[in-house]
Amino acid sequence: MAIRVNPTFIDDLDRYGAEDVQLCYQCGDCSTVCPHADDMYIFPRKSMRFLQMGLEQKIETTLEPWLCYYCGQCSIQCPREADPGETMMSLRRWLISRYDFTGIARKFFKSRLTEILTIIAVAVITAVFLIYYGFSGGNITIYDGEGAFLPSGFIHRFDLSVGAVLLIFLIANAIHMWYLVMIKGTDYPVPWWIYIKQLYQLPWHFFTQKRYSECEKKHEHPVFMPWLIHLGLMLGYVTMLVLVMVFIEQLQAGPEIRWQVHIFGYLATIGLLAGTFYFIRNRIRKNYVQYKKSHGTDWVFVILLFYIVVTGILQHLFHRIGLNVAANITYVLHLMGVVPWLLRMPFCKWSHLIYRPLAMYFAEIRREAAARQESIIQSVPVLIK
Amino acid sequence: MESNTNCRIGVYICMCGTNIAKLIDVEAVAKHVSAIPNVVLAKTYKYMCSNPGQEMIVQDIKENHLNRVVVAACSPNMHERTFRSALRSAGLNQYLFEMANIREQCSWVHKDPEEATLKAKELINAAVNRVVYHEELESMSVDMCPNVLVLGGGIAGMTAALELADAGNLVYLVEKDKILGGNLARVDLTAPYLYSARDLLTERITRIMTNKQVRVFFESRLTGLTGFIGNFKATIGKLNGKPDNVTDQVEVEIGNIIVCTGFKEFDAARIVHYGYGKLPNVITSFELEKMIRAGRIITKEGKTPKYVAIIHCVGSRSQEFHPYCSRVCCMTALKYAHEIKSANPESYISDIYIDMHAFGKGHEDFYRRSSEAKTLFLMYEKDDRPVIHKASPKDDCEMLIEVNEKLSGEQIEIPADLVVLMVGMEAREDSHEIARLVNISQDKEGWFIESHPKLEPVATTTDGIFIAGTCVAPKDIPDTVAQARAAAARVLARISKGKIEVDALFSEVIEDKCSGCRLCNQLCPYSAIEFDEVKKISHIISALCKGCGVCVAACPSAAIRGRHFTDQQVLAQVEGLFET
Repeated sequence: MAIRVNPTFIDDLDRYGAEDVQLCYQCGDCSTVCPHADDMYIFPRKSMRFLQMGLEQKIETTLEPWLCYYCGQCSIQCPREADPGETMMSLRRWLISRYDFTGIARKFFKSRLTEILTIIAVAVITAVFLIYYGFSGGNITIYDGEGAFLPSGFIHRFDLSVGAVLLIFLIANAIHMWYLVMIKGTDYPVPWWIYIKQLYQLPWHFFTQKRYSECEKKHEHPVFMPWLIHLGLMLGYVTMLVLVMVFIEQLQAGPEIRWQVHIFGYLATIGLLAGTFYFIRNRIRKNYVQYKKSHGTDWVFVILLFYIVVTGILQHLFHRIGLNVAANITYVLHLMGVVPWLLRMPFCKWSHLIYRPLAMYFAEIRREAAARQESIIQSVPVLIK
Repeated sequence: MESNTNCRIGVYICMCGTNIAKLIDVEAVAKHVSAIPNVVLAKTYKYMCSNPGQEMIVQDIKENHLNRVVVAACSPNMHERTFRSALRSAGLNQYLFEMANIREQCSWVHKDPEEATLKAKELINAAVNRVVYHEELESMSVDMCPNVLVLGGGIAGMTAALELADAGNLVYLVEKDKILGGNLARVDLTAPYLYSARDLLTERITRIMTNKQVRVFFESRLTGLTGFIGNFKATIGKLNGKPDNVTDQVEVEIGNIIVCTGFKEFDAARIVHYGYGKLPNVITSFELEKMIRAGRIITKEGKTPKYVAIIHCVGSRSQEFHPYCSRVCCMTALKYAHEIKSANPESYISDIYIDMHAFGKGHEDFYRRSSEAKTLFLMYEKDDRPVIHKASPKDDCEMLIEVNEKLSGEQIEIPADLVVLMVGMEAREDSHEIARLVNISQDKEGWFIESHPKLEPVATTTDGIFIAGTCVAPKDIPDTVAQARAAAARVLARISKGKIEVDALFSEVIEDKCSGCRLCNQLCPYSAIEFDEVKKISHIISALCKGCGVCVAACPSAAIRGRHFTDQQVLAQVEGLFET
């Protein structure tokens, strides 16, 4: 059955950032220089082609965009300046909005105004709720314990409910991704035991980002810099998420510092601060090919994260030096960033935290299943010649 | 003819560096040759064709009173002219010379040195035997009529005519249509610089119509041609609707002819896949040009098409139809993409091609700009043509084009409301008629054949007949104009000389022997033999004769003698091969 070409697709993708894809004339230089492309996952060349032709059914089931960590070598090599690296980035944005069944991600990627207004709205609602709660039972001069403005027990429950909402969206989107990739997009049988056998891929790629380090192989960058910074930022983020969701009561309590908890908090803060600083600096300087074009959502992402990190640090400082009123105010300001940030996560770039390891996992399952299918076909004796 | 005893022959054996000497023992050959009767001297030399080599011949002719020269070296195609001119400069008739090819026909193709040396001796022996019977021949010269006939009033014909007329010559321009301009008059803009075709033409047409030196025959064609270079008589007849019905014949005297009869487009209905003639919105490139010139690109239903597909190589680059590339369609297709997109920015263009041939000046840039304008390029495999069929009512398009897309490896269908077929160029159906009239050859596709594809691109094997433009092969406007000017320049060079040299190698009828059977009249491939009704014998027009020898071989009375290829010369040469 022939697949219908959709010439209008390219216009739609423009707003996700793929502006130059139509310049590509399929020479394949990009796939040659890419350290990750192999016989089974031929990218960016093939992804570029599907995109040009608007083969939506093909694109929504591909894993290739997630296998790319955007080292940018392809864009440097491209003789037509079609910017395959940025195209893969736009495809990731498109896939995030495709996995998201609510349609919110699509709106965010397409309109900066909608995104910023939503963030402000959520922040204001959060602030109103927290201030109302604080004044209804607590005292702004008390930071924690009896009569506190925002007691840690309450914050813990508050965090868990926000986390639950976040989780519901993320899981639903991940299931949608699985359906598209493994059911709709895989035309050979995948036995259940391969899922078990390859399960180690998930933590492996999540915690090491091994593939990103392989990007450096053909690179002129300072050795391992982007990989290390990215890893630090991600580990810091995940640590902080765990601290906030599970250990918030120990973290918030005063006056003594519990080193077994706080040491993680400080390490995570260093990772986050270094990461956000590095990425903001590069996006301003446009010093590497992958930072040349910044989508609006990229800026919202780094600026919001930087805001959260800075307010978090200030809040901790004020609390430690005993400025409880200031600490409580910065706490509200901090949470005004954190809540929209967490709720926005399933609809923005940050969700690649989940999709990327999943994609590596699915890719290896597909690879093994395909090889298995091939060997079955080979083993069938050919009767008719 | 001189008697054998008076012959003083000089033989020169070339080593051609090591090309000859590495296999053939040239000294042994020289020793052998010097013993042949009439041979005064036999010399070897590193490069006979070099200046010192030629000077050696000139010196020897003067000092040793040589009256025949044999050079054993490469093919006469290579250096016969060189050595003939050496003879001329020594005051000897250039035809008292013979070449023995001991390189291409000996040292290059053999392995055994002894046998090769023996063969070289035999070849030289044959040449020496032959040269004894050589005669002094003189080239003729005939007057050159300065008038020129140009066939075809397209961009090529008009350009050539203007070039000739501006130099002060009378030009007869014959055009079968009512108007000048040819195929270019059917085009709106030209790729890649988007000049208006109309602007290109009107300037030329105005200049032609106001030039007193150009006589234009509209709705006319060439009906007959007699004579030879410099002295043709052509008859031009008025067409009356049908090609056979020609009236008002006019006879004109001309010296040269430039054929610029152009091309016709491929008939798209021959490819059933495309449904041309059945699907109303499948049109040819020339039909689209008509729409663009009218200022509205619409479907048969009067709607503005949202999806436009352009299919390349319709009739070109296929074993079934024409194997060649029509050269202009790729850029024209990009031009259409540009024009359709400018007329309707909401439209989407799919460009379905085999290979993108963007070879000319500015073409690659034009291709890039088309890509930037978001033209969707889809590649199909040669001879695995797209198939067009009607879409179902629930689709948002009129037609669907099924293609095995080569770059993605996917079988796809492309939506289309309007399909433009880039029809290729083919030779005009009356080209064989023209070829017969002016006595030039055609290749298997019907294009006129140039006398050398690289070095003589506008000359033909018939002297005085030149070809230019798309009647030779598909080409774009710059190439066509360049060829037209080249042909005009060739003609002008001859006119300015006033006379034309005719090679002395022609055949002649020995009148006493001719029985007037007229067998040779039909056989001559150059139409060089006419029948003398008074004497009842055949007569060869030496200016037209190429000396091919067909008539000599065919004459049952042995009444035709090929100059420089007499029976005596050829037989002596053959005998020489068996003497060693």
